[in-house]
Amino acid sequence: MSTTDSPHPGRLHPITITVREMADIFGRMGFDVVQGPELETEWYNFDALNIPNDHPSRDMWDTFWTKTKGGEERKVLRTHTSPMQIRWLEKQGAPTRIVVPGKVFRNEATDATHEAQFYQLEGLAIDTNVTLGHLKGTLERFCKEYFGNDAKVRLRPSYFPFVEPGVEIDVWFPAQKKWLEVMGAGMVHPKVLQNAGVDATRYQGFAFGLGVERFIMIKYGIPDIRLFHSGDIRFNYAFNEKPV
Amino acid sequence: MKVSLKWLQTYFDAPLPPAEQIADALTFHAFEIEEIQGDMLDVKVLPNRAADCLSHRGIAKELSAILDIPLTNDPLRRDVGTSYVPTSLTVEIEDPKKCSRYMGALVKRVRIGPSPAWLKKALESVGQRSINNIVDATNYVMLNIGQPLHAFDARRLKLEAGCLKIGVRNAKQGEQITTLSGEAFALNPSTLLITDENAGAPIALAGVKGGNVAELTAETTDLVVESANFNGTSVRKTAQTLKLPTDASQRFQNRPSPELCAYGMRDVLALITDIAGGEVVGVVDEYPARPETKPVLVTLARINGLLGSSFSRDEVLGVCTRLGLETKSEGDSFTITPPFERTDLTIPEDFAEEVGRILGYDRIPAAELPPTLGTPDQSRYRGIERMKDQLVEQGFTEVSTQSFAKKGDILLANPLDKTKPALRTSLEQNLQEAFARAKQYAPLVLAPNQKPKLFEVGTVFQKDGEKLEVKTSEPVSDLPEIRDDANYVPKRYELGAYKPFSVYPFIVRDISAFSPETGEMQSYDPTQESEFEKLIQESAGPLLIRIVHFDAFQKGKRISYTSRLTFQSMERTLTDGEVNGIMEKVSAMLHTAGYEVR
Repeated sequence: MSTTDSPHPGRLHPITITVREMADIFGRMGFDVVQGPELETEWYNFDALNIPNDHPSRDMWDTFWTKTKGGEERKVLRTHTSPMQIRWLEKQGAPTRIVVPGKVFRNEATDATHEAQFYQLEGLAIDTNVTLGHLKGTLERFCKEYFGNDAKVRLRPSYFPFVEPGVEIDVWFPAQKKWLEVMGAGMVHPKVLQNAGVDATRYQGFAFGLGVERFIMIKYGIPDIRLFHSGDIRFNYAFNEKPV
Repeated sequence: MKVSLKWLQTYFDAPLPPAEQIADALTFHAFEIEEIQGDMLDVKVLPNRAADCLSHRGIAKELSAILDIPLTNDPLRRDVGTSYVPTSLTVEIEDPKKCSRYMGALVKRVRIGPSPAWLKKALESVGQRSINNIVDATNYVMLNIGQPLHAFDARRLKLEAGCLKIGVRNAKQGEQITTLSGEAFALNPSTLLITDENAGAPIALAGVKGGNVAELTAETTDLVVESANFNGTSVRKTAQTLKLPTDASQRFQNRPSPELCAYGMRDVLALITDIAGGEVVGVVDEYPARPETKPVLVTLARINGLLGSSFSRDEVLGVCTRLGLETKSEGDSFTITPPFERTDLTIPEDFAEEVGRILGYDRIPAAELPPTLGTPDQSRYRGIERMKDQLVEQGFTEVSTQSFAKKGDILLANPLDKTKPALRTSLEQNLQEAFARAKQYAPLVLAPNQKPKLFEVGTVFQKDGEKLEVKTSEPVSDLPEIRDDANYVPKRYELGAYKPFSVYPFIVRDISAFSPETGEMQSYDPTQESEFEKLIQESAGPLLIRIVHFDAFQKGKRISYTSRLTFQSMERTLTDGEVNGIMEKVSAMLHTAGYEVR
């Protein structure tokens, strides 16, 4: 008569579930999943990405630095997953297609839409003829598969030191009848390719970086980003989760 | 950058479109608009364009290119001349790397006073305060063409042999300055100063803020007007160290061209003599480090090959004309020399961006990447996900916690939370805390006999480096190491609708009742149990957020059902008394339906 003999399975974290879904979508477009260190060198996090020291572009990222003793190299908690562009290209070379999910850190006051730590998913596609049109096509397909077939994508001019041209990606949500800014992207800057030892006269490609929490928040109407890394199981169980 | 539409209009003969259309034009072809407030647009100028677009002229030039309407009377294309009347003012630059150009003008017999109404209005339209005609003139020209300017009271500088001498040098150890706003700063030797060399005294923090030594007063009659170019890194460091960001420092740190100095000087002297009278005695121009403008070779194939577009040669040439880029074309090759103020245009990719954004990214067709050969290698990732799936199967729920800790091997130089200045060396502490809360929340989300079990997979930071750790809230005997697994396919779930949960405490009550007598022998009946729960839900109302089966057994001819009820409000903390009241209503309802509440 008892209905509780069978063991109850637990639940994955919503970020794990979402990263799997995103990895699947990009996997179907030929992207590998790779991961990188959270504690980075200044070179990989900034200089190699064309963000020189004492340049105003560094202000775009509020950075956590490690305390060092004399002679030690100071490190940063990576402010984005973009350092893996360099690390991966150094190791693997071109052509390549990867996505890099991982935790990143920003030293900024937290509130309902800002957390000092969150997940990004970086994308990188390098070949001899990858264009901004491919970026548009790839992200359009991704957004349609993730948000639903009615989603539309548009590009606006923007600036990130490691891409040229740089763009901001907006997605159209028919239900809410509005465009939302969802990620930064662009064509990988030739200096970045050179810094990773890739022949920039032969290869080119695109990169993008999206905030995983932001995507989940938009899709499911989550009110507060701080729920994600609170260690609170009520958050896992607030979703009406089903196996696919 | 706050811009006034009325101010922008001075750059065009034809009337500009309404604010919304201007905002759209800028948004899709240049910069985001933070806000529109009547006549004022707050334009989020991108860092790579801050050298030329933190100015009305810069924004007007963008609009002219985007909307393809001519810019009339462009101040940067009007001749500035190169020869100046020499004067009894000299300038000495210690390090040309820190100051590539310094222009100083001596102006005598000005009448300091309030600004004319148009100037006051123009400054107020972009949120600036009018101070006096001289200071307003320097601010107006800066906001108009982007060159920071400064005016000193010449009679408060020391004359020696009939000459004034301005110095541009690093601060000496122990040197101090009091700024215009009255703040005193002790300086370190990396701070670049403007000095009165004859007096050996600092008169300004170069490119940041003036000092009070040569401050203008109501009695001022003679001026030294400065139009200079200071090194972006040096200005940025000083402004950051002294926590003194100013309109001037913001512009210098973005490295405007030193060519701009002459335009700023021309315009500010014209404006000062117009509104404050006086006479320009002479101008000194120390220009030790002239920038080179290099032409860039770009081909049509490169532009289209990068953008994935099929723009024509004429379209590209059209963009160059609209942006005022001097272009020589030969077949499908372009040799482009940008105007001096466009310091951002140095490589072919920069020009591809100009073409893409001006013609519009909506004109670039979306294309699918060609299929790749071979299967992507994701074995590390798959190995980690496999471990997570195994733990979930064994009843563990995955949590994610903060990477910061009270103690650790690696400390942060600038922690956000001062009580957690270290990086975690283990997931243990956070998991224990999460587990304590999970036990407390169990009645909200778990089955009555389900024990909370948690795990986290996360990076920890130890003396020998960072590593991935797996931690469970209770020992798992057969927990394997994380191994790369090329073939594992991680389980897929769909995150269904999200139901917000309350942050207020909850109250749990069990209720048991015997089924109504029928005279017959009854057996456990799920349909009857559902009806039992439905009766409870209807009588308990919306504060009952969860009802779960707890127990059912046979006694005599009847069945006893027990359910566990969880009460919680989204808005407040419930009291025992309140829940007791609800339970009484529930009992009464069950009683009416023939149940005997135990």
